[in-house]
Formats: sequence, C-alpha cells, structure tokens
Amino acid sequence: MTMRNWIQIFALLMPGLGLILVLIGSVVYIAIAQSFGYYALLGESAFSTEFWSEVFSRKIFSRAVRYSIYIGFWSAVLSVALAYPLAIWLRKPFPGSIGLGALLKAPLLVHGLVAAFLYINVISYNGLLNQTMQGIGIWAEPRRLQNDSNAFGVLLLQVWKNMPFALLVLTGSVQGISDDVLDAARDLGAGPWARFRKIIAPLTMSGMQAAMVIIFIGALADFTFQTTVGPTNRQSMAQLMVSFKSRGDWHSAAVVGVSLMIIALLGSALLALLTRTVMRGSPR
Amino acid sequence: MSYARLNSLLIVMIVTVALIWLAIPFTMAILWSLVDPAEPWTADKLLPPVMSFYRWVDMWENSSLKYALISSYSLAPTAAILGLCLAMPTAFALGRFNFAGRELAKLLCLLPLVVPPFITAIFFSALLFQLGLNTWRFGAIVFAHSILFLPYAIRILTVSFENVRQDHIDAARDLGASPWARFRVAYLPALKPGISATLLIVFIQSIEEFAIAFIIGSPDIVTIPTLLYSALGQDFVRPNAAVLSLILVVPNVFLMLILERLMRSANPALSSGKG
Repeated sequence: MTMRNWIQIFALLMPGLGLILVLIGSVVYIAIAQSFGYYALLGESAFSTEFWSEVFSRKIFSRAVRYSIYIGFWSAVLSVALAYPLAIWLRKPFPGSIGLGALLKAPLLVHGLVAAFLYINVISYNGLLNQTMQGIGIWAEPRRLQNDSNAFGVLLLQVWKNMPFALLVLTGSVQGISDDVLDAARDLGAGPWARFRKIIAPLTMSGMQAAMVIIFIGALADFTFQTTVGPTNRQSMAQLMVSFKSRGDWHSAAVVGVSLMIIALLGSALLALLTRTVMRGSPR
Repeated sequence: MSYARLNSLLIVMIVTVALIWLAIPFTMAILWSLVDPAEPWTADKLLPPVMSFYRWVDMWENSSLKYALISSYSLAPTAAILGLCLAMPTAFALGRFNFAGRELAKLLCLLPLVVPPFITAIFFSALLFQLGLNTWRFGAIVFAHSILFLPYAIRILTVSFENVRQDHIDAARDLGASPWARFRVAYLPALKPGISATLLIVFIQSIEEFAIAFIIGSPDIVTIPTLLYSALGQDFVRPNAAVLSLILVVPNVFLMLILERLMRSANPALSSGKG
C-alpha cells in the first residue's frame, strides 16, 4: 500500500474510530488523573495517592466492591445457566419454536427502568404477589418485599433483562453447529451426554464467554436497578461513584470509577477462564 | 414419557412462565395507568373501580412529560443523523479496503460498549467542566450519544459497504459516471437498508439512554428515562409511573420490530439479489 492510501484510510477512520478513541481515551485518562489528585475543580491539582488510601480505608467502599461483584457474578451465571438449555432446546426448529424464541427474547425490547417499575408494581406491599399469597393462604399478612436486603430483586431484574440477551448470543452459536458433525458423532456411538461434552460444549464456549463477560460488566456497574429496587443499606460501586460526584468529591468518585474498571477487566478475564474450565473439564 | 409429550409439556411450561414474566406485569401497568383518582383501586377489587384517561391527560398538562418528550424526541434524531455521518467514512474504510490492522480497528470500535456507562457519563462531565462546556447540555448529550452508539452504526454500515458489488462500481465507472453518480447507482441501493437500520438503532438507543442524560442533562434537560427514574424514586406515584413506562416502552417496541425487518434486509444473503 502506498503512503497516499494510508493517509486516505487514516482520514476515513478519523471521524468514527478517531472520535471513539478520543472520547473514551479522555474519559479514562481524566478518571485516572483525577483519582491521583489532578484536574481538581476546586483547590490545587497535585499528585497524591491520598484519595486512594482514603477511599480504600472506608468500609462503605469495600462493602460496595463486594456487593457489586456479587451482583455481577450471579447475574452472569444465572442468566447464562437459564439461557443455555433453552438455546440447545430451540436449536432444531419444531412447531411453535420461532414464536417461543420471540416470546423469550421479548424482555430485550423493554427498558430496564420499565422493568423495574413492573417489578415494583407486582411485589409492592399491596401488590399482586402479596394479594395472591394471602388469597391462597400461604402468608397471613402482606410482606415487605421491596428493596430486600439480599438484593434478590436486583438479581431477578438482571436475569429478566439479561437472560434473553444470553439466549440471543447462545442461539447464534448453538445454531452454528452443523448437523453433520452431530450425526457423525452419533454414528460413531456418542450418546447425548458425550455429544454435549465433546461437541456442543466446546463449540459454544466462545459465545458463552462473550455472554458471561458482557452481562458481568453490565451488572457489576449497575446503577438503576440498585437505586430503584436494591437494598437500601448497601451501595453498588456505580451508586457510590455517583454519590461522591454529586457531593463534589470528584477525586473519590474517580478512585471508585477506576477501581470499577479494573474489577471489570480482571473479573471478565477470570470469568472467561472459569467458563472455559467448567466447559472443558480442565484448563487447556 | 415420549419425546413429543415432553416437548409439549416444556412448551406449556415456558409459555406459562413467560405470561407471568410479561403479560401480567404489563396488564397491571396498563390498568394502573387508567386508575381514575375519583376512586382508588384498593386491594379487594380485581379491576380499578373507575377507569379513565385522567392520568394521561393530567401528566400531559401538569408534569414535565411534554418537555421530556420534546427533548427525547429531538435529541434522538439529531444523534442518529450525526452518528450516521460520523460512522460512514469509517465503515467505508473498514468495508471496502483491506489494510493491515483492520481487525484491530474493528475491535477498537467496540470500546464504548465495554466502558460502564456511568463511568463514561461522570468523567465526560468532568471533561466538560475542564473545557468550560458544562452548560452546553443539549450539544454534549447529542455528541456523547452519537459517539457511544457508533459501534452499532459502524458495524451495520461496514456490512452494508461489504455488500456493494465491485462489478456495479466498475460498470458505472466504465460508463463514465461521475463519483456522485457512481455513489448513487452502485453504492446507495446496497447501503439503503443499512442506513435506515443505523438511523433507527441510534434513535432507539438514544431514546433509552439513561446515564449520560441523567448526569449531564440534570437539572435542565429531562428525558423520558430520567423522568421515569425520578417517578420511581422519591415521588413514586404508581399511576404516573405506569403512564411513563408505557410511553417509553410502546413506541420503542414498534421501532425495534421495524429494525428487525431492516436488519434482515441488510443481510448479505438477501440484499444482493439484484445482480
């Protein structure tokens, strides 16, 4: 390729990819710089690790880290665990399978905040669930289910929203397996379990890793579900970051933000590895 | 139990779960949005005793709903058009040229999807503060939306550019067509579904986006999601939240169904049927 071609391609990439790199690059740069005391909006900007040690010594931070990892991990695992058998089941078309697939994927079309509202509406103190449970005589009186302290509400919403996404990704990779390969395995005497272990599992692993990682990052950084239906005695990392920021404490917000990015990165790598270990039986 | 029986049992089970999952909550939302304040919907009644569109009219006249609709529905098309213009050159390069590092460039285009939205929102607002642009809210949201949703735009348009047939371009050139005429006859027909899909997907994403609109927009700019968020928070009035939920969800479902059709026609196997 000539120099002229390179300049042409570079110029073409500028408005799209170039702007992406500038925006995301400066966002990450500002976050890191602010976490070390630079870009102060008030007072002087100077290098300091004080914000890191200050935030890390606070109980609210370590609780938020643990809580966010809990939400991220279980949202990813539960969504994928539910979606995987469904994807395999829907691999071969049968009467009604397309309609079923569409029905299962419908929550993809529903905004997270709307989902949160629907959920609150159903579980509220005098909501449908409480009514039903009292009606059939299981509960003597209505129970307070909103903002439960185990964050089951958050997990339920995460799964509601992310299971269809996982199903979409996994359906793609499950349907990519050709019948020839499965038939050949059957002819060679492989039973259903062996066909799953030796063919379906390895061939769908990358789709599964992708679904796990994307759901993990999204749920780890959750703000809306946490602030609407989450436990009130705990904060997620994104919530903590926003609350620092709205108090004008940008440096602490930056420490939380950078930690969140690091956890997202490390957690994704670990999850991908874990997925491979589980699917292969042993790391290769 | 035979395989067929097991299968139909599973179907019945899934449909039941999906009904509990979807139909009941939505029916509840619709009913709640119709509750007339004249008589409250108490626990002992199966249906609201008095139903009317009072809440809808009231929300329209007395809340920020009108402003939220105006800002959401003016932010989204602006971001969609800007996003399309920004994505076109990059997609052209990725779809029509074979250069070293193309795969890396494609991968880097996905960056906005990996960084958590609240991190982008907060530190983008820090950047705006540093630049003294923190009062430029509308422009900042449009700018951020059009760049954050570029990954979708670039991906879709790259596939469309790959679908343009070289023999059509060559034929047009051989017949003496100017660059503009070549674009119109050879590129545009193959790009059309991709362009519509791009506009639509950025539009939908922008309408639904919450983090940027919440952090950068507040307090001046209210969008439908930020309004719904505040309706779910301290001033939770169930019928109002129901109205907002339906306003947010119903148009988007239709738009997404159109999008799905467009994406199917943007598919390589189907759109190159001409040649």
